[in-house]
Amino acid sequence: MDGLIEIITAFAAQEPGIFALIIGIIGAAVLSAVVNVGAMAVIWADRKVMSDFCNRFGPNRVGGRWGILQLGADAIKLFTKEDVIPAGVDKGVYVWAPIVASAGTMLVAAAIPFGALHIGGKDYPLVVANMDISAFYVEAALSIMSIAVFMAGYSSNNKYSILGAFRGMARMIAYEVPMGVCVISVAVMAHSLNLVEIVQSQTVWYAFAQPLGFIIFLIALVTDLGRIPFDQSEAEEEIICGYNTEYSGIRWGLLYFQEYNNFLLGSILVSLLFLGGWHGPIIPIPLLDMISPMIWLVMKVVIVIWFIILVRAALFRLRIDQVTDLGWKWMLPLSLVNLGWAVIIGSYFA
Amino acid sequence: MTTASEVLSSIQSAFPGAVSDARVESDRRLWATIDSNKILDVCKHLTNKLNFDHYSGSAGIDWIARNEMEVVEIMASHGAHQVVAMLKVKTPRANPSVKSLTGLYWNASWYEREIWEMLGINFEGHPELYPLLLSDPLVGVWPWRKDFKGYPDYTTGERAVAIPTPDGYTEYSFPPTQAEIEAGTVPTERPKYPTFLERETREIKSDSEMIMHLGPQHAMVPGPFLLDVLVEGERVKKAFLDIGYIHKGIEKIMENRTWLQDIVYTDRMCYVASLSNNECYCGAVEKILGLEVPERAQYIRVILEELSRIQSHLIGTGEFLTLIAGVGFAPWQYMIMDRERIISLIESVTGARLTHTFVRFGGVRNDLPDGFAEQCKKDLPYMRSRIEEFIELFAQDPIYHARMENVGSISPETGKRMGCAGPVLRATGVAYDMRKEDPILVYPDLDFKVITGTRGDSADRIDVRMREILESIHIIEQCLDRIPSGPIKTEAKIPKKVPAGEAYYRVEDPRGEMGMYVISDGGDKPYRVKVRGPFYATFQTLTPLLEGTYIADAVAIAGSMDGCPSESDR
Repeated sequence: MDGLIEIITAFAAQEPGIFALIIGIIGAAVLSAVVNVGAMAVIWADRKVMSDFCNRFGPNRVGGRWGILQLGADAIKLFTKEDVIPAGVDKGVYVWAPIVASAGTMLVAAAIPFGALHIGGKDYPLVVANMDISAFYVEAALSIMSIAVFMAGYSSNNKYSILGAFRGMARMIAYEVPMGVCVISVAVMAHSLNLVEIVQSQTVWYAFAQPLGFIIFLIALVTDLGRIPFDQSEAEEEIICGYNTEYSGIRWGLLYFQEYNNFLLGSILVSLLFLGGWHGPIIPIPLLDMISPMIWLVMKVVIVIWFIILVRAALFRLRIDQVTDLGWKWMLPLSLVNLGWAVIIGSYFA
Repeated sequence: MTTASEVLSSIQSAFPGAVSDARVESDRRLWATIDSNKILDVCKHLTNKLNFDHYSGSAGIDWIARNEMEVVEIMASHGAHQVVAMLKVKTPRANPSVKSLTGLYWNASWYEREIWEMLGINFEGHPELYPLLLSDPLVGVWPWRKDFKGYPDYTTGERAVAIPTPDGYTEYSFPPTQAEIEAGTVPTERPKYPTFLERETREIKSDSEMIMHLGPQHAMVPGPFLLDVLVEGERVKKAFLDIGYIHKGIEKIMENRTWLQDIVYTDRMCYVASLSNNECYCGAVEKILGLEVPERAQYIRVILEELSRIQSHLIGTGEFLTLIAGVGFAPWQYMIMDRERIISLIESVTGARLTHTFVRFGGVRNDLPDGFAEQCKKDLPYMRSRIEEFIELFAQDPIYHARMENVGSISPETGKRMGCAGPVLRATGVAYDMRKEDPILVYPDLDFKVITGTRGDSADRIDVRMREILESIHIIEQCLDRIPSGPIKTEAKIPKKVPAGEAYYRVEDPRGEMGMYVISDGGDKPYRVKVRGPFYATFQTLTPLLEGTYIADAVAIAGSMDGCPSESDR
């Protein structure tokens, strides 16, 4: 063991560039594995919670009575399907759209702290890229998904797809601005755009310090995720499947999966920005006390995910013009009010 | 209240010599043959002077033995009186032609198109005499004429000639054989008309407009029909409707089966309302036979028809809700779950879940099982509490109001003029219900209200259906209290051959006014069965409602009609 460490240290001293590259690749693999496994859990939860709400069983065959391996079966099916690229599509854009979507979510994942380890009375945040503007960066990277949606819809050469793409764009314009203003309000209160510092500065959860901003951010997030009541870009009963009508097999699977990746990352973002992140009482049990910040964060994320899933079972879909109305006439002015509130409260406590 | 004999004398005094062969069947039924030149004037007179504001459809009959064809215009009133006038217009069988009523009644268009494509009766003055139910290769063979021999002859498949289309598909044509041409059974000339595709593509005026298909295979449609919308962005500029994708020719099939066998076919017209269809057909035949239905059988029929109305409304509303909320919407699942209880109740009596074939001439097939009333007393209060919960749920939902209110509104005048039926018409505020207008069975003895709405929009249609379920529960509870013991079938012997005669019988289907016009020539099979379907009537009004709406609203409006293309196509 000691010999191995010596060899690695020697290699790192000799070739620092290659060493950094290897470490980076390993880190990226671990990160994407964690995010994707998390997203699979979210898909499973989506199916199970929805079916419970609707008095159904949901997946209950693959992997025992809880159907926990259902997604694995689905993934195998999607991977082994024939790769169909319809005649008449803009092939380059069509092929790249799912990849852009995946890249976008991974860019988000790189800057999001997934929790902290509590060692020796101190929290050590777990974040791949701890940058100064991470809150703003994450919000910007989240909207790369909209570009992928537009690429997919525009390149498909299909009437339903193009309408889905336009709807996606109109919706993005409607929610992006209030969402950004809400992030700014949080940053004003925390005196930082760094997500880690935002979490550390939350002695009072910002959901209580600025409830208006919390609600608007949550609505904007559901809009971003394209879930009911904001799933206009793939409204099945109107435009078949919207932007991914022409996709099949694993290309469709990638696009579908990125929505759940975003779902997971967005829920973590809400917990970090407004619900105090990993703050919570330390569990006084050896080993558990080390990961107790993680436990608190996971619990908060699960509650947010639960809430967004239940919204889908309970609400109707809005029309696209009503979404833009909501975004521009209600969410934007109210988020500006919230910004003013945050400035006043923030400077009072500073 | 106007009676049939008063209507007849009014027509006779206004148009002396125009009426021949008139028959007043009862206070509510008038049969009269009108001079074909005077039919337009008579209809105008009826509408303007005698409140016949409801054009209820028309039927075409091929009297091959008399070498003439007949068009029967069915006229009624939206509540001013209860007379149904059956006005017959005769035309020679060679080159048949009658005057079109489309100038007077907006909704005459589809009925006349159907008669034209099926029987080849030309309608003078009809602006768009295109086929409605048939596919293009079948137009011109006039399939419902009595001398129709079948087309194409499927026993000789080698006659099919493949024709590649420019799009890369293959179409098949069936050219007639030499023997058929010599026998004269094949038309030499086909009518000329623009196809559906040509009609809709010529409406495209600019590059920013496109035609989007909502059907025949689409998550929106309750069954196969083609709804094409011409859109500019999200805005629908024009809508085109093509039906006939599941045209089964049930009316023709029924002419070739015995009277009893035909009950089975009425089930298949609309499987969520099969008991009403049974009732409608059997009632018409009972009228010709002059049968009395025992009281217990009448109560059983009413109970089952109301149960079937409840389950039909539940699935209609539930399916509609998924159109604006996605399939994951929980109340839709709850409605299906509750509907299961009603289906089980019906199943315990009839033995079938959907296609019951339960009603018989002069009675019903079997009696209620033991414990039926007890099970009803358990399930119906539960049902009532659930429906009240749903009504409250929708009333409180702001998104529901935003999506449904003032979407697809129909004014009472428009509703009457366009001939909507059932909950769609009642949502506009017109209290038109066959159970009150043309009461059958024991409905006159029962206490129930006709539910109406105020705005005539999508939200009102849901609301009317939900409150109608409550009324149906009330009716069933009364029936269970009052049902007498006794025979469930008439004592009279039912002949195999029904004596010559005709009858028009109306029932309140879950989707509205359903009428069946049954003609017997004294044989063991019906000579003609004409079905006046409620959704056929409502369906026609869909396209004008969609103009100027958004695509999402177009889906909401089409869904709120509670469509059953199976019944409209027959």
